This record gives sequence, structure tokens and C-alpha cells, in this order.
Amino acid sequence: MSTTFSMQGIRKSFFGVEVLHGVDFAVERGQIMALCGENGAGKSTLMRILAGIYVQDSGTILLNGAPVRRYSTPLEMQKLGVSMIHQELNLIGELTVAQNIFLCREPKNGKGLINFNRMNENAALVLERLGETIDPKCRVGDLKTAQKQMVEIAKAISFDVNLLIMDEPTSMLTGKETRVLFDLITNLSAQGIAIVYISHRLKEIIDVCHQVTVLRDGSVVATRRVSEVSAHDIAALMVGREVKEECADNFAGDPAALILEVKDVSDELLKNVGFSLRKGEILGFSGLVGAGRSELMEVIFGIRKPKTGRVLVEGKSVTVKSAIDAIKSDLGFVTEDRKETGLVLCRDITENSNYVFWRKTRGFFKGKKTTSENTERMISRLSIRCSGPDQMVSSLSGGNQQKVALAKWLLSDAKVLVLDEPTRGVDVGARQEIYRIIRDLAAEGVAIVIVSSDLPEVMGICQRVIIMHEGRITGELCASELSEEKIMYYATDV
Amino acid sequence: MEAVKGRFGLRAQVFVKKIWREYSVLVVFIVIIGICGLFAPRFLHPDNLLNILRNTSIVGAIALGMTFIIIAGGIDLSSGAVLATSGAVLILLQRMVNPDGSAVVPLPFAILACCAVAVGFGFVNGIIITQAKLPPFIVTLAIGILARSVTMYFCRGATIMGNNIPQFTDIGNGSVFNIPIPFIIIIVLAIIFHIVLTRSKFGTYVFAVGGNESASRFSGIKVNRVRIATYMIGGLCTGIAATIEMSRMAAVAATTSGNQYEFEAITAVLVGGTSLVGGRGRLVGTIVGFIILGIVNNMMIMLNILPYLSGAVKGAFILFAVLLQKRER
Repeated sequence: MSTTFSMQGIRKSFFGVEVLHGVDFAVERGQIMALCGENGAGKSTLMRILAGIYVQDSGTILLNGAPVRRYSTPLEMQKLGVSMIHQELNLIGELTVAQNIFLCREPKNGKGLINFNRMNENAALVLERLGETIDPKCRVGDLKTAQKQMVEIAKAISFDVNLLIMDEPTSMLTGKETRVLFDLITNLSAQGIAIVYISHRLKEIIDVCHQVTVLRDGSVVATRRVSEVSAHDIAALMVGREVKEECADNFAGDPAALILEVKDVSDELLKNVGFSLRKGEILGFSGLVGAGRSELMEVIFGIRKPKTGRVLVEGKSVTVKSAIDAIKSDLGFVTEDRKETGLVLCRDITENSNYVFWRKTRGFFKGKKTTSENTERMISRLSIRCSGPDQMVSSLSGGNQQKVALAKWLLSDAKVLVLDEPTRGVDVGARQEIYRIIRDLAAEGVAIVIVSSDLPEVMGICQRVIIMHEGRITGELCASELSEEKIMYYATDV
Repeated sequence: MEAVKGRFGLRAQVFVKKIWREYSVLVVFIVIIGICGLFAPRFLHPDNLLNILRNTSIVGAIALGMTFIIIAGGIDLSSGAVLATSGAVLILLQRMVNPDGSAVVPLPFAILACCAVAVGFGFVNGIIITQAKLPPFIVTLAIGILARSVTMYFCRGATIMGNNIPQFTDIGNGSVFNIPIPFIIIIVLAIIFHIVLTRSKFGTYVFAVGGNESASRFSGIKVNRVRIATYMIGGLCTGIAATIEMSRMAAVAATTSGNQYEFEAITAVLVGGTSLVGGRGRLVGTIVGFIILGIVNNMMIMLNILPYLSGAVKGAFILFAVLLQKRER
């Protein structure tokens, strides 16, 4: 059997951190190869290199044994038959289906203008190959999500495709639409197209794929035939790293001192989610990307409107319609994306750390003295490294920015503090400092919720962990029961 | 010896850079005054300088309000037309006279009504922008067209003369200790606004909303209210500008009063170093900005530049001023 595509010894670093350590990967004609791994294992990076979006630092890509030129652009790789469908849809809503499929490759007539008739005919042919009946003249913005996905696939196979890479193609599809997609994948593979299928849903992999390659921390740990492994085995392979020594203890405070209760939260994504939190407890939320953890926190904080659901703070029901209501109920929320929703980058540390404090206190003026005392206190307590309180936040390092985002809520005297991915993009040293601050806060009686995709982080700091999968709570573990395998088991809902 | 000199040179360089970063507007300002004095010695005559301050106060008032709006990430293209509408209200109320010669509506109330109309337009702008989530550019453009049309309807497209009494005309034409009253009004307004912008919580929220709307919302700032408030402040300033303008002319011209003033004001704000992206800016810069514009207008008269070419000179000059004080990012 001839190998269609192979990658040998691929290495890649971002900002001096190596994320792929010499990866070998191969996929054959007509094969459906699953690519698995935790968040950040390097799956998407590896496939983006194969699709020509990133350039590897070293290593080679071979097509039928012949090396492919380094620095090949996505368009050149597409001409060699590699197409990638990204996790987020990359379509232009205002253009028609046909225009999207043939974007930048529009058939021209003699005068150099676009030949719309031919474009629409060609688009119809491609869609027919997929067994789809979407009108090529339809505006993409008017289509349903599943149909958009089909247009993406049509666009991908409209190149003479030999290898199709799909990054989490089912994350936005319903069960029925997923089955249609699987039929299509099987069909394409029968036509001799090789497929790389990236997914967190291990069941799907077992159902549709021939082989599975598991990546962990930027290296391949195993390549197996799907018929020889179970979903459990794959989960174990994904986690498999040595479990860190450091492990949190069970919650030792008063189990009756409930401070936050969330009941029956439901909307399009979340399904009857509820949990409770005690004073001084550190509760973790684990799960894969898209499990609905951040969305749940946004509901609690009044950013997202649920269909049903109640929030109780210290036993009293509270109506949280916007962030200010949550702030007045002594809730705090350090968001996942500090650049988008956490900080005003073009302002200084003083302003950024005092916004919530100012909102909570009365008076027209800021109060120069209190404000600067607040800031000084936070800079020393959180050891924020800066040239002074008037340094612009945009010029701070990631870790120090995160500390400023944290300072904003510490100054508000929040009783419940939600931290969404508190150490994303934070270097190792600052990470330990943030853990120390979290533990200190809990010791002072602040109840803490940590949403994190980083398993060692969850294991190291949380006294109790709730695991979510597709909008539902699938498991709850206390610190003494924690293991990465168990979390991954609940997170993939096998 | 060389080393010492080198280090001193480096220090001086850092120092100059810092001065330039913080005060580039002022530097440009002084250079411009110097150049103008060189070309037209008459320019430096105190009467001329005071005249510039008087002439520039109307656009200046609008520019002060516009600074709030632009810092919060918005823009107001309706100011010029709203000036005409609120000015028409002032003139129409002010010219109503009882048979015994006394005013039907006392002057202070007429001025209040004028400001209220302008603030009302600001409120409408703000409400539409925040509730319908439309771009400020389009909303204020449409409201401006609407306001101009309403003015022409009330004035039947003509120029309407006001009651030419000194109490009224002194607001725009009078002086106290030789300093033009309009400029005094502007400076008082600027001081109050400067305190609001730098010392009050609201002022900080204006910067925050312009810098990052979602982060502001997540911090509990009522983003929409802050936005609407900036447009109302803009309206108040336009109302004050209208009062000065009407007082100077003692008449409102339905089609031309306030024409293009919004662009002059925006230019002044930008020349003053406030970023159109939002989130940063200074009121002091705006003051220097509109005075620079006043100087340019004045110089074109001094140097007898053909009115047809004044736009070309002004445009080129504005580009030059903004380029000169452009920050390195």
C-alpha cells in the first residue's frame, strides 16, 4: 500500500516554547485517521503545518515519498491536494455558496470578468458529489450551521483533494447531522481520499475512523488500529503523563456554610446544570473546550441570559441581570480572555485595578488617596512587576496582566471569585504565584471557582472538581478521588 | 571624554523623546506661532491674537464635547446642524417682544431652551446608537440631516434676525479686561470638563468604554449610560456654541449656520492628539487643537490667500500638524 502523506521529525516552537517535539505522522490513501490529544497537545498545530499555514522549524513533509518544498503556502498545499476544514467556519456570509466555494479561483470569461453561470454549475457539481442539494446561488448567511459545514467541505474537496483534514467538524452539529457527515466521510474515503479527523469525541472516533494517532504534549504516544482499542484506552493514552506529586486536600471547612447555589440552569447549550459552593472552598470545573463551563459562569455573572435557572448567594435568591448586579452580590469574575473582556489595555494599572472598586463605592470623584493606596497595596500583595502604578497595562507581561485582572476583583471584596483559565498564557513562575494567591484567598474564606482545561492545574489546586460534557455535568470528584484518567473519562463521556 | 559625551547625548535624546511624547501638541503650537509671526508680523499684535481666540470659541466649544464622544469611541456628525436648530430656537424665542418692549421669554430661559434642545438631540443620538446598536457615524449623520431640515422648515429657509439688544449681543461680542467673553466661557467649561475627565469616576469610565467595551461591561460599568452621557455633554457644548454664535450674529441662517462646524471640531480634537480609536486623549490637546485651527484661518486672511484656495491650505496644514505630532506606536 502506498503512503499518500507523511510527516517526519516535525518540530515547531512558538515564542521560544517547543510545542511539537519531532512528530512522525502518516496517512494513507483512503484511510480515515483520527488525531487525538488533550487541549494544547499540538493536534491543530501539526495539521496546520501539513496544510501549509504554519512552517515547521525542522522536519519534512513527504508526498508519496518525495519531499514537499518547505515554506509552501496553503494555496500550494491545496494544489498538492491538501485541504483543511478549520474548527471555526471560515465562510463569508454575504457571498453566495458558489462564490464561497470558488473564492479567489473564480472562473473567468473572455473579458476577465467572473463567469457566474459556470461558477454556479461547477458548485452544483461539487455539492452533488456530497449528495447535497443546496442552491449554489443561496447566500451563505441564510444557511443552517450543518449546511455551512457542507459548504466548507465542498470548498475543501473542490480542489482536487487527496487529503482532507477536519478539525472538530462535529462540534456544532446535531446527532442526525453528525451521522450524515459520517456517511459522507466514509464515502469520501471510498473514493480514495485520505482523511485526518481531529475530535474530542472518542465514541465518534471508534465509529468512523480506521486508525488513531494520539498526541500528548507535542509527541506521538501511540498509533493504533481503532478495532484494537476502546475509548477508555484512548482516554488513558491521551492523559498518560506522570501524575504530579502535588495534589490538593479535600475541603476541610464547614460543609454547611453554603455561599453560592446554582440551580437548574438551562439554555441552548446548558442542560439543567446546578452546583453549590461553600465558604473557603476551591471548586474546579473541568471538561473539554465547548463543554459549556465558561457559558455557565457567564450565566452566573449575568452576561448570558439563561432560559431557566436560579442563583442563590448565602441562601438568598438574587436576580443577576448584568455584571453590576453580580458585583453588588459580591461575586467576582476573572474572565478567560483578559485582552478581550478583562482589561482596558490602553489604560494604566491604577485605573484597571480600581474599576470595580469605584463601581461599588459611592461618590462622584475617584478619591485620589484611596485609589493610589488600593493600587499600591495590590502591587505589593500580588507582586506585580511594573515601573509604577501609571504603567500602561498593554506593556505588562501576560502573568502581570493576569494579576491586574485579579486585583480588580480583590479590591471589590468579592466573596465568590470565579477564575476562568487563570493561568492561560502565564509563565511558570507567575503561575505558582497565582496559585499561592488563590490558596491564600480561600484560607481567608473567599469561595473560589476555577475553570481550567489544564488537568495538572485542576489536580494541584482544587478541593473538588465538577466535570462537564456538552452542557451537562457528567461527574463530580473530591480531591482524594481525583485522577486524570477519571476526569478524562467523564469529560469525554464514554 | 567621548564616553561621557555619548552618555549625555543619549540622556538628552531620551529627555527630548519624553518631552516630545507628552507635549508634542504644544511644541507644534509654539512652532506654528513662531512661523506665523515671521511671515506676518501683524499676526502677533494683541488685538489679532484676542480676535483669534474669540473667533475660535464657537468651534472650540463643540470640540470640547466632541473630545468626550471620541474618547468613548464615538463620533458626532450632527453638531453643526444641531447648532442651527438650537440657535433657531434661541432666536425665535428671543425676538418675541411684548407691546411694551419687554421680552416674552426672558433671555436666560431662551438660552436654557436652546441648550435643552441641543442636549435633547445628543440624548436621541445616544439612545439610537446604544439601543439599536448602530454605528455612530450613520446615526449622527442622519440626525444631522434631519436637524438641518427641521431648522429650514421653522425658518422657512431664510435668515431670521434676532432682537438686537446689548444684553444678548454682548455674550458673543463683549470683553472682560480685554479678554473676549466667549473665550472666558470656553476656558471655564474646559476647566470643569478637565476635572470631570481626570478626577471623576465617570471620566475614567469614558476612557474605559472607549478602550475596551466588553471589559468595561464585565467590570460593571453601565456602558450604554456612559455612551449616552457623552453625547449629551456634546449636545450641551453645541448649545453653548449656538448661544455664542447667535449672539455674535444676532441672526440665524437656516441653511448656513453651523455648516461644517462638526468637521472643524473633529479636526481640532484629532490635531490635539486624541485617538479616533477611542480610549485615549486629552482635553488640553483639544484646546491647543482648536486654537491652531483658528490661527490657520486667521493666517489665510493675513496672507491674502484666495478664499477658493483656503480649503487646500487648511487640508494640507491639518495633515502636516497631525503627522508632526503622530506618536510612535
